[in-house]
Amino acid sequence: MIKIEDLTILFDSFKIVDLNIQIEEGGFHFLLGPTGSGKTLILESIMGLHKPKTGRIWIGDREVQGLPPERRGISYVPQDLALFPHLKVKENILFGIKARDLDMKIYEEYVHALVEVMKIEHLLERYPAHLSGGEKKRVALLRALAPKPKLLLLDEPLSGLDPSIKADVQHLLKNLHTSFHTTTLCVTHDFEEAYFLGDGITIFIDGKVEQVGKRDDVFLKPKSKKVAQFLGAKNLYRAKVLRNEESYQRLTLGINGLQFSIPTSLVRDKMEVGKEVELFIRPEEVMIIREGKPVKDSLKQNIFEGKILDITDKRRYHLVTFQTLEGKIPFEISIPNYTFRNLNLSIGKIAKVALRDESLWVMI
Amino acid sequence: MSFRYTMIGAAVGIFIFYLGLILSLFYFVGGKGFWEALSHPNTLFSIRLSLIAATIATFFAVLIGLPSAYALSRFKFVGKGILDTFLEIPMIISPIALGAAFLVFFNTPLGELIQTKGIFFVFEVPGIILAQFATIAGLTTRLMKASLDEISPRYEAVARSLGSSPWQTFYRVTLPLSFRGLLASVILSWAKAFGEFGATVTLAGAMPGKTETMPIAIFTALASANINKAIVLILILVVFGLLILYSVRLTGKRYRYD
Repeated sequence: MIKIEDLTILFDSFKIVDLNIQIEEGGFHFLLGPTGSGKTLILESIMGLHKPKTGRIWIGDREVQGLPPERRGISYVPQDLALFPHLKVKENILFGIKARDLDMKIYEEYVHALVEVMKIEHLLERYPAHLSGGEKKRVALLRALAPKPKLLLLDEPLSGLDPSIKADVQHLLKNLHTSFHTTTLCVTHDFEEAYFLGDGITIFIDGKVEQVGKRDDVFLKPKSKKVAQFLGAKNLYRAKVLRNEESYQRLTLGINGLQFSIPTSLVRDKMEVGKEVELFIRPEEVMIIREGKPVKDSLKQNIFEGKILDITDKRRYHLVTFQTLEGKIPFEISIPNYTFRNLNLSIGKIAKVALRDESLWVMI
Repeated sequence: MSFRYTMIGAAVGIFIFYLGLILSLFYFVGGKGFWEALSHPNTLFSIRLSLIAATIATFFAVLIGLPSAYALSRFKFVGKGILDTFLEIPMIISPIALGAAFLVFFNTPLGELIQTKGIFFVFEVPGIILAQFATIAGLTTRLMKASLDEISPRYEAVARSLGSSPWQTFYRVTLPLSFRGLLASVILSWAKAFGEFGATVTLAGAMPGKTETMPIAIFTALASANINKAIVLILILVVFGLLILYSVRLTGKRYRYD
């Protein structure tokens, strides 16, 4: 278990206050925040390069705050990788084992297994200058993993790669983690990456932690508008609580006279009548109802008639901008291509949509 | 005249200016007394003294300059700005003033104590080394700092995380990565020490066969109208200079690590 307690860092213009992160043994935790929010600084402080103002760092039952970087057992892969240009790939990989004076015999098999998983046998005698971007990433990862660190720190591990290689490295990271279980803390601004790889996520905006939790908890149940927006949420509306019918376990929200019915199970906070809240409609969960087709009971709670304002082809899906006739509330709906082809939609057409319960989320 | 040709013309102009200056020396080469001057014991002594003194002065300048350069390049500390500015002192004050300041210093109680209990500097060979050291130490530090600045501290961060102590990191990562730049700094510092005149002559005097370095020998040769000797010495300086510039060029070539 890795515990970072009440870390406060003041450095240049950065101010990071009371950062708390816990990572289970073998966990893959993401620190997710916008670019320029001081994420690299946090990693370098955990490593011991900067002295935080306050805070304690535990690796297992060992407190490492106060130890120099070389005695913390933390490996670091910076964004620019920093492969030693004067050393061959092989020497780069063995750097940590030699620096710590570890017994090569014990590590040989493990390093060999890593080399095999990473498919870099043919690169061992080369210098970093002669490697491609993806190869460099592999070597840097291997160098970090070779001395069996207690904690692996990754700084934007997928940045600067071509999309096809990016997918490769992403899968490689997942494989490495499932095979070798190195406890990992990764910082990134890319929430797709965090969704694919992370089991725990800390959302970090403007020097403060906004939300911590398991991956699905954070992605499906954002705590605030700030978090939702950072995670790419589009349809966000200010709404008012009109009724709270506890016997039905449903809540009624109003926006511009239009009423939405929401199961109370999907609401985190206490909702009094008259309170102003944020309603988030997930574009991928909204259904367009086909004409003449019967509608399931479970979808009948929130059916709206509206006009199609715009259609954008996003290659993998279509994005439809829909505006309710009553209340004139516009929202975006994403529709898989195969469904879109059957729906016969066009700009200006009147259609009916059903917001199923899963498509709604309410925040304060 | 086009923009391009004006600019290139200026560059070629400077080249011709210096080349002409050097070529003009050959007008007297081979004249009567030229070869005697070249093989005269005092000339050979000056060459040897200059080589040895400049090398020792450079050694000490690097000994203190390299760690200082690292500190200025990597760490934040109180008074860093003042310290950094002070490195320029020997570059802005005249070398003669620097030498004179030393003469004054060795007449203070502390200076006298150093001379009587330790090493004698005034009008002695150690004085040459001290004067040269004083002229180049700031420059050496500055040049080395520039080479270290080019090496991303990220390499050091990674080396530390992989288990290297700060000292190990310095000689296993920082030093090899900045080696070419550092070497160029050393060569340029040495060249500057080798050609130093003002501070050396003020502190160590100009005694032939004792404290007469090459630049001082040129001056005394001219003062006594010994043109042949002056030219011999100038030509030797030019040859050394060209060798140095060439070796700096070599270090400047991008090392491809292959």
